[in-house]
Amino acid sequence: MNRRSPLTGPGSVLRLPSARIAVIVVVVVVVFLSVFGSALAPQDPLAINANALFQGPGLHHLLGTDYLGRDVLSRLMAGTRMSVLTAFEAVGIGLILGVPLGIATVFLGKWFDFAANRVSDALMTLPYVFFAVAVTAVLGNGLIQAMSAVGILLVPLFFRLTRAATLEFARAQYVEAAELLGASKLHVIRVHVVRKVLPTIAVTTAMMAAYALLSVSFFTFLGIGVTPPAPTWGGVLSSDVDYLSQAPWAPFIPGALIAITVGALNALADAFRDRVGPGTLPVAAQILAQVSKTHSTLEAADVRQSAA
Amino acid sequence: MAVAELTSAELSNAAGASAPRRRRARAAGAKIGGGLAILIPIVLLSSFITYSLGALSNSDPAATILGQDAATPAAVAHLDRVLGLDKPLVVQYWDWLTQAVQGHLGVSYFTQIPVSQSIAQRLPVDLSIAILAVILAVLIGGTAGTLAAVKRGSWFDRGVTIACSAVSTLPAFVVGIILVVVFAVAAHLLPANGYTAPSAGIGQWLEHIILPSLALAFQVAADITRQLRTSLVSVLEQNYIVGARVRGLPYRRILIRHALRNAAGPALTILGNSFPIMLAGAVAAEVVFSLPGLGQLVLEAAQTRDIPVVQGVLLVVATFVVVVNLVVNSLLALLYRSSDGVSA
Repeated sequence: MNRRSPLTGPGSVLRLPSARIAVIVVVVVVVFLSVFGSALAPQDPLAINANALFQGPGLHHLLGTDYLGRDVLSRLMAGTRMSVLTAFEAVGIGLILGVPLGIATVFLGKWFDFAANRVSDALMTLPYVFFAVAVTAVLGNGLIQAMSAVGILLVPLFFRLTRAATLEFARAQYVEAAELLGASKLHVIRVHVVRKVLPTIAVTTAMMAAYALLSVSFFTFLGIGVTPPAPTWGGVLSSDVDYLSQAPWAPFIPGALIAITVGALNALADAFRDRVGPGTLPVAAQILAQVSKTHSTLEAADVRQSAA
Repeated sequence: MAVAELTSAELSNAAGASAPRRRRARAAGAKIGGGLAILIPIVLLSSFITYSLGALSNSDPAATILGQDAATPAAVAHLDRVLGLDKPLVVQYWDWLTQAVQGHLGVSYFTQIPVSQSIAQRLPVDLSIAILAVILAVLIGGTAGTLAAVKRGSWFDRGVTIACSAVSTLPAFVVGIILVVVFAVAAHLLPANGYTAPSAGIGQWLEHIILPSLALAFQVAADITRQLRTSLVSVLEQNYIVGARVRGLPYRRILIRHALRNAAGPALTILGNSFPIMLAGAVAAEVVFSLPGLGQLVLEAAQTRDIPVVQGVLLVVATFVVVVNLVVNSLLALLYRSSDGVSA
């Protein structure tokens, strides 16, 4: 039942400490770049150079130049902050709204539970790309607006996971014992529920961070929430796609960056799940299985993979 | 209880093979009924979210339509009345929904083209891609998963596992770009962009949608492979498989009739749930391959704040997702009597 994912399963690549270190290095570098990326960029990410169009990776431009001769490395470095910040925004919205609601609904009675569940079902039917586009149509075209939409759609996921985990723990015998001993509801929630639910939430958060980062690069690729010439990961990719015949190798650089970052975050989630230990794993697996049964519009692939 | 049911089912099986089928049909019927009971409130709620999203926007549609010069307060008020925008939100929503149920999703603010007409024009593009992608995902994932399970531990199995991990980190739009570079730019085998309707020629149509579909199919294929491999490995260790082998049945027959049939459930569930992912991916594919689909429609509409178009597309897609989910779940119930055996 608790089959480990191929990334961290026995005998796979990530069991090696060096691979784990690589994962952590990738995450740290991305976070570092999101803070200092623009300051450390070797060249002005907006500087146009008509004499150096479509240059391959070289000494002067480590990752080459784009169709306006702008330095790709600098553009990617400067674009990191917006991607990471808005990914945090989406995960933050999902976390802050979803987790307390998920815990509260177990203790607030049937009607509240029913209503919250139906709303979360309804939200889960909304396909995230279309929903995000609709939100930008309403609130204005910006990455912050678009990712707030993704955040709203992450709420039901966090809500469901937390609710299921809370249900699991709120029915435990020691909770009953604590209640008989006169513990208040708040005490039970704080000591017996929240602490137990946290590992599940942590794993989910890492997964959702990967998902949110993927959404950011997808949106910037589609041009949602981007004002040119501002540099973004997806934006670099989409401009490369327009000039494939001149520089067919170009999209592989931002593409690899996105894939490596997302892969690292997913691997981090896996590693964390392993670290949390087999005791909580079946619970998490059940919860994730439950989520995948619903009308999830999110890329539940990773969620499901761990549920299997 | 279960045992009694099973034996009685087997008895009638010997008699005429109708009872289990009837029971399955009843289970599926219950599933459809229950599904509808949940489905209608969900669709109502999500359509309300969709509608109020547009209605609550601070954009002033009347002023936008009239343009800056013509937007006198009187003209705006008149147009608001014509568009029904002066009514309370719930009344507006109800009007919109009753119209939507009859297939009228309003008219674009700018082009005056009925929204349902533009959706009907563009939906086939995304549907072609999504359906072909599902077929490809089943073919690729089914084959790879089965072979990996049969030859578990072999180099093929290990290769499949590594390939699945690699693919699951690659988003569909990146896969799409790689495919364009390889098949269109480098090899000149297939067109890099554009769409032709199937009426213009099946071959041409396939030529244009095969790459986008392939880009979408990879991730789902990886999921199916993993799921199928896992469940098939555990099914192949069951006693009844050993029994079938002892009885001397050909291995191929055991694999297909005995093992795959029982192991396919979880993979089929993935397939059903992956349809929304396919639709989102189709938007990406539209951009990479410049296809005139729903994604392009909604992206353009969002830029001009053409709210009826945005609302209409969101409603249609959300309803589509819910209906597909219901259909898939009902089919699974029909196949597996109770879906409990499926969702393991």
